[in-house]
Formats: sequence, structure tokens, C-alpha cells
Amino acid sequence: MASIVRPAVLRQTCLATASKRTFSTKLSASFPAINKPATSVLSRPAVRNAFVKDALPSAVRVAAFHASGRQAILPPLPQVIDGTANDAAPVPPPSPSHGSYHWTFERLISAGLIPLTIAPFAAGSLNPTTDAILCAAILIHSHIGFESIVIDYIPTKRLPKTRVLFWWGLRLATVVVGVGLYEFETNDVGVTEAIKRIWHA
Amino acid sequence: MLAQRATQQSLRRLAASNPSMASQMVFKSLAVGSSMQTRYEILVAQRKNRPTSPHLTIYKPQMTWIPSALNRVTGSVLSGGFYVFGAAYLVSPLFGWHLDSASMAAAFGSLPVAAKVAAKFAVALPFTFHSFNGLRHLSWDLGKTFSNQAVIRTGYVMLGVSTVSAFWLALFA
Amino acid sequence: MAARLTTRAFTGLRPSLRMQAPLSLGLRSMASVASTPSEEPQPKTKIFHIYRWNPDEPASKPRMQTYTLDLNKTGPMMLDALIRIKNEVDPTLTFRRSCREGICGSCAMNIDGVNTLACLCRIPTDTTKETKIYPLPHTYVVKDIVPDLTQFYKQYKSIKPYLQHSTPAPNGKEYLQSKEERKKLDGLYECILCACCSTSCPSYWWNSEEYLGPAVLLQSYRWLADSRDEKKEERKAALDNSMSLYRCHTILNCSRTCPKGLNPGLAIAEIKKEMAF
Repeated sequence: MASIVRPAVLRQTCLATASKRTFSTKLSASFPAINKPATSVLSRPAVRNAFVKDALPSAVRVAAFHASGRQAILPPLPQVIDGTANDAAPVPPPSPSHGSYHWTFERLISAGLIPLTIAPFAAGSLNPTTDAILCAAILIHSHIGFESIVIDYIPTKRLPKTRVLFWWGLRLATVVVGVGLYEFETNDVGVTEAIKRIWHA
Repeated sequence: MLAQRATQQSLRRLAASNPSMASQMVFKSLAVGSSMQTRYEILVAQRKNRPTSPHLTIYKPQMTWIPSALNRVTGSVLSGGFYVFGAAYLVSPLFGWHLDSASMAAAFGSLPVAAKVAAKFAVALPFTFHSFNGLRHLSWDLGKTFSNQAVIRTGYVMLGVSTVSAFWLALFA
Repeated sequence: MAARLTTRAFTGLRPSLRMQAPLSLGLRSMASVASTPSEEPQPKTKIFHIYRWNPDEPASKPRMQTYTLDLNKTGPMMLDALIRIKNEVDPTLTFRRSCREGICGSCAMNIDGVNTLACLCRIPTDTTKETKIYPLPHTYVVKDIVPDLTQFYKQYKSIKPYLQHSTPAPNGKEYLQSKEERKKLDGLYECILCACCSTSCPSYWWNSEEYLGPAVLLQSYRWLADSRDEKKEERKAALDNSMSLYRCHTILNCSRTCPKGLNPGLAIAEIKKEMAF
């Protein structure tokens, strides 16, 4: 008996939920972009109609979800799986200079920055040699930091040209800044002393 | 229940009395097997329609990833300023900018006190935050303070210490 | 039910009614006392917003659907709520579940902003707060709260999650371990690969194609830490590049979210330490 009754019940619940969906306007209120398609840019009626149709094909669309498909920056690509589901993901060739050596070097620089940062506070200022070392350490630390931002947010596979542009742009910037700091260190009073003077000005 | 049972039994009887039906079933499954390629193509096409589930916008703000994101932001702000100054100093003779320490100190000194304190705080807070959070990171790199409680505790301590020291630097240093 | 109890109370009260003076008052009060236990307890309705997307309508965008449940009639766990919605409210709601006791890892999802197993997550009894359920973050959605974990499993396969041992055992039977050596695997072998940690990791969100993610790296360390494994150098070399391991920036969402109470962040730190010094 139950097996006969059930489909009918199911159909009812489905209808009920469907109607609930249709009349739910709660989410749509928070989507001005969807609700107000007619802006000054879309002045021609044909364009406006096309846009309205695209934005509001049904009530379901109105309650569309906010965090998906609306990201302007780097929206994820359609899913593509290389090979079958049973193939292992490819293992990249080992390159310690971008891996373990790089990591160890970065940590040594970071750890070295601790005494170099405390020193000017403790001593009031730094002698030119220590100041130059501090500058160089901060420059390397910054470069590695920017580098990892580029690796994280500009994937090679996704944006190969942008990646190359930023990669070499960053290197050029680091060299330029390095030369600039060399000029500053040799012609002026040194970074820590300059900051101190500005801070107390 | 009864109806289901009756259907099952009659089906079973049918299958027993009519062996050709069983062979038909086998044939059907073979036909499906030969269309594996099309089924795979359907899957590949379906994958391309799949949406990505929401992430940054729905994940609960926690003492783990919020300070981590701020660590990157503060680091970028500090390093960005460092880079802008270094590059500007190098090209300053070309444009006639006065970026030597004496004229910068004089320019900063001429600002009203409130602006000076605000500017100092705006520089000091990223500096203290990045420095003290950097200590947390170095301790993690040594494999220490990894328990959830430790991460939360050191997080709050770091926030407190960096805010207080930034105020101290802006007001008294 | 209530009516029957009231009448029974009424008949039972008859002898006493005769003796007591304020007739109507006594009757009403007794009747109300008798009917109280049979009344339904105050319904504890809680609102659930659940992420929905149907692959049969590929043009439609994902949306949030709202369900209301009475917690008095629902089991204590989030999975109970989901199963009740599917059974009684909306059979089209799709989710994975199997063991309902936190050992299969099927029901991993994002509940109230945190990745966890629905079967191990209590429904907060605070009914004023509405619960939101999403699929695991930054995954491709197969349907509703079912994510596609193909890439995750492919990455798991790439770290060779099995004992690699070519020399025969000294006693000719089995590879023995000391108690200390075995102890190193505690906190690693319990991982059920539910992908909660990996999909909580922002680094994995942005670079899941190349970065292995906390779960797979914890598994990698499980074999690196195993005293019986003889391919440690090969295992380390496979991680020694800028992407596979070193996209980890110790954000530690992984350790915070692990429904089994493991610490993938610590495991990754141990790998980094082993590879550095």
C-alpha cells in the first residue's frame, strides 16, 4: 500500500517546494545587479530586453546563488580531468632550488631579520654595514614574498603570459629598488637613521 | 508491501518459465557496455557544466586564515612602500623630486600633529603585525605551537601585542 | 488522544467532585493538569539553508533552498536533519552519506562556514540561528552538496600510498617495528580522506591542480614516517618543487577543521623540517 501511496505524496511535496521556491524573494532582494538590469549603458530597448531575458529567465534564477559565477577576478575554469579518474596526478620533476633549498633560505632570512629588527630599537640606530645588511635582507624577504604571491595567484597554466610578465617585472623591480637603495645607503644617512629622523620630526 | 511482493514473485516466475528473457537481459547489458565511450563523453561534457562551490565568501572567519591573509596584506603594504620608495629615490634626480632624508623629515615635520600620529600608526601597525605574526610562523616552521588552542591563544596575544606596540610607536616613540 | 485523556480524568474525578464545593473551578484545573503531558512539546523549529544545483538544468545557477524542521522530531546530528529532509520534505535533495559514525568520510560538507562531517556535527540547539550548508568549498559540484573529488583522489594516488619495501624481511615473515616507531604513525593513520582539510585550505583553493593539499601531504608524511618504508628519498624528491608541498603557508585551516582531530599542518611542518635540515 505504502509503495502506491508514496509517489503521490512525493509529487505533492515536490510541488510544494517548487512553489515555495517560486515565491521566495528573500534572496533576490540582496541582488541589485540582477534586479536592476536597466542602467544608462543599456539604453537601447533591444539590448535591455536581451539582458533582462538573460538575467531573469525564471524565478529560480532570481534566487540564484551569490558567490558563484559572479567573481570578476579569476573565475575558475570549467572542470577538465586529465586522463581517467584512475590515473595518478603527474609528479613534477624535483628542483630543490625552488623547493627545499628555497624554503630553508627563506626561513634563514626571516630568522635573521629578528635580530636585525630589534637592533635599531635597542641601539637607537645602526652602523652603515648593519644597515646595508638589514636593507638587503628586507629586499630579499620582500622579493620572495612577492614571488609567492605571483605563484599563488597567477598560475602558469591559467595565465601563462601574465605570469611571465609579472615574474620578470618583479625581478626588474627588485633590481631597480636594489640600485636605488644602494644609492640611498651611499649618499644619504642610511635607512634606519632616515626613518628615525622622519619619525621624530 | 503486498503489491510489491506479488510483482516480484510474478517476475521471478516469468523469468524461470521463460529462459529467453534472461538472455535478453544479458544482451541488453552488452549493448550498454559497448557505449562506454559515449558515456565517458557525456561525463566529460557534464563536468564542464559544473559550478564551483563558494569558498572565501562563506568560510567562517577564524583565527587561522584571517591573520594569515592579513599577514600577506601587511607584508605587501610594507614591501610595496619599500619598493616604491627605493625606485622613486633612484629616479628622483630625473624628475627633481626631493627624497633625501633631510627634506623628507622637514616635510613630515611640517604636518599637523594628528596627521603625524595617524601616518605613524598607519605604518607602525602593519610593521608590528607582520613582525609578531612572523614570530608565530617561525615557531610553526620549527614544528611548535601547532595545537588548535595554541594557535588561537598565540593569535590573540599577537593581535594584542601588535596593536599596543603600534600605538606606542605612533604616540611615544 | 488529548480528548480521551480528558474524559478519563473527568470520570476518575467524579467522587471527589461531589465533595468539593467550587465545582467548575476544580474541574477545569484538574482537567488541564491531566491533559498537559499529552500535549506536544513546544516545537523547536530551525531553519536550514542548503545549497542546491541540478546538473539536469545546466543553465540554471546554484541557489540556496530553505527548509524548516522541528528539532524535537529530528535526530541530534546534521546528517539526521539532511536524511529527514530527504525522506519527508524534498526527495530531490542529494548528498553523500554512508556510515553515519565518522569513519567513511562521505558526508563531508561545509556546515555553518566550517568543513566537517555531517554525521559528527551536532545541530546547534539555538533555533534563532539559521544553519547554512554548502558543499566542500571550491570544489566542482556534481549535484547539490555532492562535490567531485576526482583530482583529490588522483593526487592521493600520486604519492604512492603504500609500503615500498624491496629487501626481504629479516625473519622471512614480516617487517617488524618497535613500539616507538609505531607510535610515530599515531595521528596519521587515522585519516579517513574526507577532504575537509584540503578544501578548507586557501592555498588548495587557488592551486589544487598542482598543490597536493593538507590531506594528501599528511598521507605522504604517514609513509615518510613509517620505519619500514625504503623509498623515503624518492618520496621527498617527489615533493621537492615549488608547487607540490611548498604552497603550504601554514594557514592552519586544515588542523582547525579536521573532524577527526588530526593535525595535517603539523605533519606538513614535519615534512618541511625533514627536507630542510
